[in-house]
Amino acid sequence: MPIILDKVSHIYGEDTAMAVMALNNISLVIPDGQFIGLIGHTGSGKSTLAQHLNGLMKATAGNIYFNGEDIDAQDFDKKMLRSKVGLVFQYPEHQLFETDVFADVCFGPKNLGLSKKEIELRAYEALKLVGLEDDYFYQSPFDLSGGQKRRVAIAGVLAMKPDVLILDEPTAGLDPKGRDEILDQIARLKRETGITVLLVSHSMDDVAKYVDRIIVMNKGSVMYDDAPREVFRHYQELEEIGLAAPQVTYIMKALRDHGYDVSDEVTTIAEAREEISNYFARFAAARKER
Amino acid sequence: MLRDITLGQYYQADSVIHRLDPRVKLGTTVLFIISLFVFQGVWGYLAAGLFLVLVIRLSTVPFKFMVKGMRSIVFLLSITVIFNLFLTPGEPVVQLWKLTITREGIELAVLLAIRLSFLIIGSSVMTLTTTPNQLTDGLEKMLRPLNKIKVPVHEIAMMMSIALRFIPILMEETDKIMKAQLARCADFDSGNLIKKAKSLVPLLVPLFISAFRRANDLAMAMEARCYRGGDHRTKMKPLHYEKRDYIAYVVVVCYLVCGIAAGRLIG
Amino acid sequence: MGIIKVRDLIYEYIRRDEEGNVEGITTAVDDVSLDIRQGDFVAILGHNGSGKSTLAKHLNAILYPTEGTVWVDGKDTRDDAAVWDIRQTAGMVFQNPDNQIIGQVVEEDVGFGPENMGVPTREIWERVEESLKAVGMYQFRKFSPNKLSGGQKQRVSIAGVIAMHPKCIVLDEPTAMLDPKGRGEVIRAVRALNDVERITIILITHYMEEVIYADKVYVMDKGKVTLEGTPREVFSEVERLKELRLDVPQVTLLAHELRREGFPMPKGVLTNQEFVEALDRCISEAGG
Repeated sequence: MPIILDKVSHIYGEDTAMAVMALNNISLVIPDGQFIGLIGHTGSGKSTLAQHLNGLMKATAGNIYFNGEDIDAQDFDKKMLRSKVGLVFQYPEHQLFETDVFADVCFGPKNLGLSKKEIELRAYEALKLVGLEDDYFYQSPFDLSGGQKRRVAIAGVLAMKPDVLILDEPTAGLDPKGRDEILDQIARLKRETGITVLLVSHSMDDVAKYVDRIIVMNKGSVMYDDAPREVFRHYQELEEIGLAAPQVTYIMKALRDHGYDVSDEVTTIAEAREEISNYFARFAAARKER
Repeated sequence: MLRDITLGQYYQADSVIHRLDPRVKLGTTVLFIISLFVFQGVWGYLAAGLFLVLVIRLSTVPFKFMVKGMRSIVFLLSITVIFNLFLTPGEPVVQLWKLTITREGIELAVLLAIRLSFLIIGSSVMTLTTTPNQLTDGLEKMLRPLNKIKVPVHEIAMMMSIALRFIPILMEETDKIMKAQLARCADFDSGNLIKKAKSLVPLLVPLFISAFRRANDLAMAMEARCYRGGDHRTKMKPLHYEKRDYIAYVVVVCYLVCGIAAGRLIG
Repeated sequence: MGIIKVRDLIYEYIRRDEEGNVEGITTAVDDVSLDIRQGDFVAILGHNGSGKSTLAKHLNAILYPTEGTVWVDGKDTRDDAAVWDIRQTAGMVFQNPDNQIIGQVVEEDVGFGPENMGVPTREIWERVEESLKAVGMYQFRKFSPNKLSGGQKQRVSIAGVIAMHPKCIVLDEPTAMLDPKGRGEVIRAVRALNDVERITIILITHYMEEVIYADKVYVMDKGKVTLEGTPREVFSEVERLKELRLDVPQVTLLAHELRREGFPMPKGVLTNQEFVEALDRCISEAGG
């Protein structure tokens, strides 16, 4: 179910002196099955954009089409949209409220008016998808660790069986291991279910390893929309807007500046190791010939 | 964006009235309200009206902001006026079906309408020219004598100012939790009253948890910064009466004397 | 004696169920000893739940040891009479910028500490001005904290602590809730305080890039200090850190991976510059 944004703008406090242009004439296509990183610093409009995609915020100009239908049309079913475009907010554990984990995950499907059996089946599947052990199902969500709470909250959205999953800063406040675990889990569920995933983040390092497309936002506009290595090529421009390419890119850049003939279009540690090994292999071969 | 709202309705400006000590403004407002009930007759109200106009002019706050405060009491005002108009016994003026409007009724209704409007406008002048912070400071200092009878004046003032700081944050938080639950297809609008109340649980539980967490954090942060109640405490912005404050008090006293005199001598 | 001395610190708390019955005892800090010299920049690393925040709260007498002793500037934190001196000597900045700002205007918040200490009004103003300038927030003194970014709010919190003229500042994950820009602002402000004012810094964090400038790093796990040393020494232990749910800087990791492939890279490479130099040496050893 592709999402199409056609010249979407959003102005806060329109008709007042304090009007702020949060989104400025954005046109995008989000086709099925992509893994997308939506990057921008705080205030770039990335979270605002995310909330437009499931109809929580209304564009002040332009149209958004879900599966070909205008989501702002009179008879459009917003509830259906929200179940199909699942949005996980920043610090989603702050939305947990039920007495046990399982009941909390059931909240979403219950709102969809499904049968009890279907609700429980979905909740169970969702909890499995986020990798939570059965032992935790009937514990109070408030007794879990930070990382576990977050998984429960993500499961709460997954239980609605969305076609598109949007996660706003899913790693905020987690420690490095917790961050890697949650990102790996998201990548795995993307692989297993084939749904579209949109990862909203301010960290290139977080998304570089996973996504196949990066949308960079700045001051409410889309600045770049391309494959990761194409986007990172503009690392100087990215720095100017308070973002940075992955640290590995800078290491390779330093090597090139120092006269090493290595590619600087490298975004992960594994690629960098490969590239340097290859360089040395070429170097050794050249020596042998001489 | 919710964080941008200003609490109370402070109007930023740099007038004499804005610069007055909050205690002067609080005291004057109380005296003005009392004067509205003490003053008699047309001349008394004229005095009050003149005083109000003078203060409003000095405050440089546009009049429409004062009227905004009136909107909330239009209903109350009309009820009072209507009741007085029809239910006051006396010399009949107009007869409408079974209802009689009397001369005394008209008089009473008009006076009451004026009295209530003056009251609201008078207090609006205070809230428009004083920040909530100054108000708490003023209250704390004015009520300090109550400390002697074990009223925790400092603590009350501190709580008020913390509430003022956190209300916008909690409002934003409410908005965020509400959106998060809406994203899980929650329904806050439809159904009967019981169903609506029930639908608030997913909003209120997280909100309370968050408020308690914040309160806990804040208490710790305050302790870490050596907060130990009102004793031994100095003030960064202590309240001092200046010349203009004394002048203001003199003006207020003059106003009271004139008003009472006008009521007695002329009216 | 250093500014902070911790000996055999144990902190236990009792877990209770809903009826208040004892469920068990958790040892959050388990036999920790530290010595921190005046003027040092010390980092304490550890994953969430490793006990690092609990340890931090002992350093300005918010928590008291179950066993062992904590001295701050020579004073035992369990001495009730010294509590306010200790809290003034060792200021504390917390994680959530919203939950530690009390004032409704930036300058009033910074004045809150000195007010509590009973500093005369005129001196409060001087302290507020110099503290806001030290963190580069002076031009925002009349702002409402609600209108500032996360990084700016944390700098206001730091100014609020500096205004109390502490000898030491404990920062408990001050950057955990900030974006990269905010993190940079806060760390720069903290390093400047250490360099210029010679204020002792104890930075608790799980971001590795923030600790490479520290004089000494302690790594905590399960309430114990499991690694300590200079950043270079600590980051030499890549595998050990991974076991402890921690990262190393990417450049350190790349050097480590290359070494595993057989390249003669040194341990504990911390900067890109060092990496390039190390690779140069690899080339010359390969017979360049």
